[in-house]
Amino acid sequence: MPSKAELAARSDQEIVALARAGEESAYRELIRRYERPLFSLLYRMVRDRELAEDLAQETFVKALNAIESYRPEFKFSSWIFKIANNAAIDHLRRRELDTLSLEGSPHAETPEAVEATALQIGDRQESPLDTVEARELGGQIEQAIGQLRPEYRSCILLRHVEGRAYEEIAEILNLPLGTVKTYIHRARNELRQALAHLRQ
Amino acid sequence: MTGDSSLSHLGPDELDAWLAGIRAPALVRHLDACPSCLELVRAEEALSAQLGALPIHSPGVDFADRVMASVHVPDPFAIRALQAARRRLFASRKSVAIAASVAIVLLGSMMGSVVWTLANRDTLLAAGSWLLGEAGRWAWVGLRGAALNLIEQPWFSGFRSLIDAPGRLALASAAMSLMYVSGIVALRHLLAVPTQRVPHANQ
Repeated sequence: MPSKAELAARSDQEIVALARAGEESAYRELIRRYERPLFSLLYRMVRDRELAEDLAQETFVKALNAIESYRPEFKFSSWIFKIANNAAIDHLRRRELDTLSLEGSPHAETPEAVEATALQIGDRQESPLDTVEARELGGQIEQAIGQLRPEYRSCILLRHVEGRAYEEIAEILNLPLGTVKTYIHRARNELRQALAHLRQ
Repeated sequence: MTGDSSLSHLGPDELDAWLAGIRAPALVRHLDACPSCLELVRAEEALSAQLGALPIHSPGVDFADRVMASVHVPDPFAIRALQAARRRLFASRKSVAIAASVAIVLLGSMMGSVVWTLANRDTLLAAGSWLLGEAGRWAWVGLRGAALNLIEQPWFSGFRSLIDAPGRLALASAAMSLMYVSGIVALRHLLAVPTQRVPHANQ
């Protein structure tokens, strides 16, 4: 069994090959490498620590249980980020469906809950909970990122926080390269405007 | 984009290039002459720095253990045994020849069987009908014997009075269904393929 130091020196593809051979430490090494970047991305996408942990866990379980279907000619990071991003976008779409109902969430059980979830269409103002979570994440930049459309948010986080190349982002998000560039450009414009008061 | 500030301003590609550290002379000239583009570049640089300085967050300390509790690690011994068997099989020309001969004999037997079946269809059909008829006759004899045997049992009259009442019949059916489902669940647990145990999986 390779030691932790030996595993840390190996490439993702080599670690995956070991995992496929039934080496448990290789699975743990993959988790160690990607738990923080994946969790950070998901936390900034959904802005809820507990939910981000659940989605990160779901991502790893899905990826590691399907490690046989991973194709080594692609980057492992792109594959696992794609699974994580899909999990986050799916969740945000479900939440959008719930919160954009004029009559309140179908899951609301009390009149107060129905009223609380009966938002106006187009209402993208931050709720007090969002504000608290943004504060917890730290700073106005996090708040500004939270105001972006989910697609813009994924792009800007992968590009500027994770440092991924445009081509890799296109692969992760399953979007044409031109669309990724446009999304990042628009996201930066929105962020610049949202943070303009800080520069003055 | 040109060096003339009044013509065209920096586009997304030029901004990207600048942020990536590419200082094209034409770009530098344009920025010297265009205060609005210079301001944009400064703002973009500040934004990139802010985004790059965002902290990386960590999940809870037991995150890896929680993930591993739901991951099925394949048994390395089974994989190694399979790989070793494959290696042994293809280790020498002799072993490959033996494996190929066995495969040819099996394939030949299967093909011979198919050909014989096609050539003797009538014989097979006649034998099949006779076998079916005999099996049916014996099944009927067996069923009658079992029914007679059952009726003669001392507990049969009690059982009959139990199933005469619809409520009691429903109760008995429900109890039997429950026992059947429990049996199936227990059997599934017994037949489940064992996976390698993960240390600390249930912590």
